[in-house]
Amino acid sequence: MSRADTLGIVGAGRFGTALASVVARAGRRVIIWSRDRAVVDEIERDRRCSRMPEAPIPPSLTATTDPARLAAEARMIVLAVASTDIAERAREVGEVVDGSHLLVHAIGALASPDDARCSEVVAAATPCLRLGVLAGPAMALDLALGQFASMVIASRFDEVVAEGRRLLNAPPMLRVYGSHDLIGVELASALSGVYTIGLGLADALAVGPGSRAVLITRALAEASRLGAAMGADARTFAGLAGLGNLLVRAGGAPSAEYDQGRRLLQAVTPAERDATEGARAAVAGVRLARRAGVRMPLLEGIAAVLTGAASAKDAARLAADTVAAEE
Amino acid sequence: MTEGPDRPVREAKNRLAGFNADRERLLAEVERRVVTRIVARAAAGGEAGLEYVLNDVCYSEIHRLEGQRSRGARAQLARWRNLAGRLIDMSEDQKRAELRDLVRHYGKDVVGNFDTRVYRFANDVLPAALGFLMSPVGSLKDGFRAMNELDARIRVEGELELLHECAERGTLVITPTHSSNMDSVVIGYALERAGLPPVTYGAGKNLFSNPFISFFMRNLGAYRVDRRLRFQLYKDILKEYSTVLLENGYHSLFFPGGTRCRSNIVERNVKLGLLGTAVTAYRNNAKTVGPQRRIYVVPTTINYRLVLEAETLIDDFLAETGKSRYIIDDDEFSRIGRILEFVRKILAHEGSVVIRLGRPIDVFGNDVDDAGESIDRRGRRVDPASFVRGADGVVVDDDQRDEEYTRMLGKRLGEAFPRETVLHGTHLAARALWDHVTAAVGSRDIYRVLRAPGSLLVVPYDRAVAGVSALMLRVAGDRDAGRLHHDVAGHPPDQVLDDAVRGLGTYHTRPVVERHGDLIAVREPRLLYYYQNRTAHIAERASRTSASPGRP
Repeated sequence: MSRADTLGIVGAGRFGTALASVVARAGRRVIIWSRDRAVVDEIERDRRCSRMPEAPIPPSLTATTDPARLAAEARMIVLAVASTDIAERAREVGEVVDGSHLLVHAIGALASPDDARCSEVVAAATPCLRLGVLAGPAMALDLALGQFASMVIASRFDEVVAEGRRLLNAPPMLRVYGSHDLIGVELASALSGVYTIGLGLADALAVGPGSRAVLITRALAEASRLGAAMGADARTFAGLAGLGNLLVRAGGAPSAEYDQGRRLLQAVTPAERDATEGARAAVAGVRLARRAGVRMPLLEGIAAVLTGAASAKDAARLAADTVAAEE
Repeated sequence: MTEGPDRPVREAKNRLAGFNADRERLLAEVERRVVTRIVARAAAGGEAGLEYVLNDVCYSEIHRLEGQRSRGARAQLARWRNLAGRLIDMSEDQKRAELRDLVRHYGKDVVGNFDTRVYRFANDVLPAALGFLMSPVGSLKDGFRAMNELDARIRVEGELELLHECAERGTLVITPTHSSNMDSVVIGYALERAGLPPVTYGAGKNLFSNPFISFFMRNLGAYRVDRRLRFQLYKDILKEYSTVLLENGYHSLFFPGGTRCRSNIVERNVKLGLLGTAVTAYRNNAKTVGPQRRIYVVPTTINYRLVLEAETLIDDFLAETGKSRYIIDDDEFSRIGRILEFVRKILAHEGSVVIRLGRPIDVFGNDVDDAGESIDRRGRRVDPASFVRGADGVVVDDDQRDEEYTRMLGKRLGEAFPRETVLHGTHLAARALWDHVTAAVGSRDIYRVLRAPGSLLVVPYDRAVAGVSALMLRVAGDRDAGRLHHDVAGHPPDQVLDDAVRGLGTYHTRPVVERHGDLIAVREPRLLYYYQNRTAHIAERASRTSASPGRP
């Protein structure tokens, strides 16, 4: 298959492998780049990945430790790595790609230490200008098991959205919607992890369904305010990357953020503060909101609990005491 | 980097010298492209149909001419009404023929001229004449000395060596900030003195109303832009003409802010219309003649110590009638006496106008290295053609992609302008006085300051000096805040203030400020506001930084 018809994926973690598996099962060629020789050998030799054993590895899925091969064989590349690794991985990818590549990240977090959106990190580290983000309520295990899932690909470039949809759409397992709201989808995806922690904490506090519903709607409202202040479309936060992500993670699917929220009722250990993408996004999100001059009481409350500045109960009380204004 | 007014040894080739011989070919190419595109689009039917395109022209022209009483206007009006009435019965062939005629008609109205004799006259004789005008009346000896001093009055600085390199290698698109109708004249002079080639540019048709100015504009490569023509066909012709000029290597100038900046705030939001033609031209060249035909966009600032039309511009801004008075044809520029005053009073000061030509960027907003090669944010060379290539390595037409590139380019320009701004003493003094006055009034709202009693519009001299001093330190310590004029950097703040107060007190109808002993009185708050606005980006940056807890 040609370079145009091959999807490149950076990272053979759970999500990257599951996504590669779904796309390859739809008959497309996929090449995964991992720095871990053992994982690459396992995929190539044993046709399995021990990080995501549930994901079938079809013949059209190959793996390599050579980033130059990834760039030579795929024009569209999805970066599916942790936010803590994005700067380094993007630099490595930046060594081998050129301006004709289409780079999309699938990271629901903000990058440290500058609280940058991940597309900004990719832009700084690579020569590519045509960038995008992939986000939404597609859990890695659902993808691996072939469950119905949907995601959204957002880019200011029609070409990135169209190519992403062409290469990633694998109905009925994965449907990919398109959006031009790059900033909105990135922020919605990152902040949904934070509010998932909040929902885990609320459930640990045994709040009622009404309070839970208030938490979700107020979370979307304040996230939308931040998004609008940063140039995003407020409606994006009610879509797949925002509400969709929040509902799936707090609705019973396995979620590190939700579990972390439940644990917050007990004493918070220093390691807990940045244990998940959601926790890292909470602290970064507070700084972003302050810079943008946007009031975000829920986000600040969750970040305060995570950093040990407030107890879970105090934070809940503060959030409840917030003066109600026009919705 | 080359600084200062020294004339470079090497001079870039004047490509406009061959323009007249090329003009018919360029016009034919514009006509071919515009007609082909509209006819192809019309095949989809609906509102893209030729009937709609032609009707749009008729409607707009009838609307424009209905209010006019001249015989010529009435004759034109009848012609347009006649066409509008015939449209419904015309065959597709007849509509295509009408479209071709219209494109040619408006194309001819737009297209420029370049007369090398006028160019030589303008460059050899006019500077001397301007210099003479600046001299004290009656002193021939002083007049001749002044002729040689114009270089000192209009200072050119920036990345001149690199620009020579880029002008030889590709096509320059000079994109200056826009404060005055003197801008195109001043920058034309500046490019010539810097040994850079002349550029073609679109000038408002209203500027051609003065026969003297029209003669020079017409013959120095300016093409006419009639802002009264709002229909899409005219915009298509203008854009295509600009695209074709760039593709053919004609160095160009766009004012990306659109019209003259009413507020005097350094432009941050640029208009993307003509700027987009640079991206399209690069793409077209990459497809036909190869990716090595580069186009370079040059962020440029024109920095006046005093602005000719400051009073009209700020009044227009304050009255919020910027849109309705889009075309001001009764301002200072249209009065020849005021132009002479500009020459005698504004240019009377050494370094009165500083044109700073910034480091060029490619049409995708990438920086370029000293050889003119595009580099990414890590400083590594990149092939600019890769940004318009598809998966199989072939250059692909994609208007939406190119619109996005243009937006990114505009953002880069908006970021570059404050950095390349040269701040005169008048700007710093106005800001220092404004800060004090607004603190006394309790608001930075100009309308409140305008209503404030005179007692609040007085600033102790020492406080003003301290304010100027603090601003000088801030600008010197922050690369993104701009640059201090050479008459400011390293000079005592009181000297800078005194000089600025003299300048602000001399040119305008009423003195902007006056010194009375240990006090400086603000006489024209609106003009003080206008001049201090040139430093508005410094305040913006300061407030953003203070809103960032945890950051140094």
